Amino acid sequence: MDERSIGHFEFPILGRAYFLGGRASTSVKKALREAGVDDDTVQRVAVACYEAEMNVVLHARSGYVSVDVYPSRVDVAISDRGPGIADVTKAMTPGWSSASDEARALGFGAGMGLPNIKQQSDLMSLESEPGQGVVLRLTFYRGGGNGAGS
Amino acid sequence: MTLARAIEIVKADTIVAPPNGQVELSGCFAADLMSDVLAFARSGALLITGLTSDQTVRTAMIKHLPAVLIIEGKDVGVEMVEAAREQEIAVFRTPLSKFEACGLLMQAGLRAARRSGAYPA
Repeated sequence: MDERSIGHFEFPILGRAYFLGGRASTSVKKALREAGVDDDTVQRVAVACYEAEMNVVLHARSGYVSVDVYPSRVDVAISDRGPGIADVTKAMTPGWSSASDEARALGFGAGMGLPNIKQQSDLMSLESEPGQGVVLRLTFYRGGGNGAGS
Repeated sequence: MTLARAIEIVKADTIVAPPNGQVELSGCFAADLMSDVLAFARSGALLITGLTSDQTVRTAMIKHLPAVLIIEGKDVGVEMVEAAREQEIAVFRTPLSKFEACGLLMQAGLRAARRSGAYPA
């Protein structure tokens, strides 16, 4: 964890702006490619970011995704201001969701977001402050990751 | 199978043409739930879906899926068309149902582009 970051970018996420959902993640994907990160890692980061971004869009008021590229890993933090997650264990259960019908109409909200994020990433931590928001921290080891992106 | 051949088989209209001409498909993945696409689709596949939103296009972009086939002759809105042009994803529309489109393509030799594994329990 003592490596120096060789690339840093941040993109904002607007809560409830359903039609913009996914924009931050497509920007993350492009930025990582331009930074020369390998395809499998880019893919895993992009998928996890997209699911996390949709969580922010569907549940929170606003948020942002922050990405740091290191020689051996990519660290991602997705923070939001919103209601937080009342029961993290429940939220991690595949198929459990508190999303609205609107979310489901967009092809999300089936309770697969957090399980999918866990599957794509190598390390995951979720801090939730009810009434304040959520901070999701993810680490992806470059090359030799878990292969979920291929 | 080429994208052009797949499109011919399901009698689809072109909504947004592929930006790079001839595309060879790695296979096919069909789902309306974008989380399933994000979790399991393999890159290079044709995505068959009934979801006509820009989320479909962004999901295809994230997963390196070159083309989307909309089923049941559904209307494709201007937002989805614009997103597809921006992300360079081809979009087609077939009057067939998802089951029929999948069946015809599989019969013609197109295979599932799904990675192994399941959602973590």
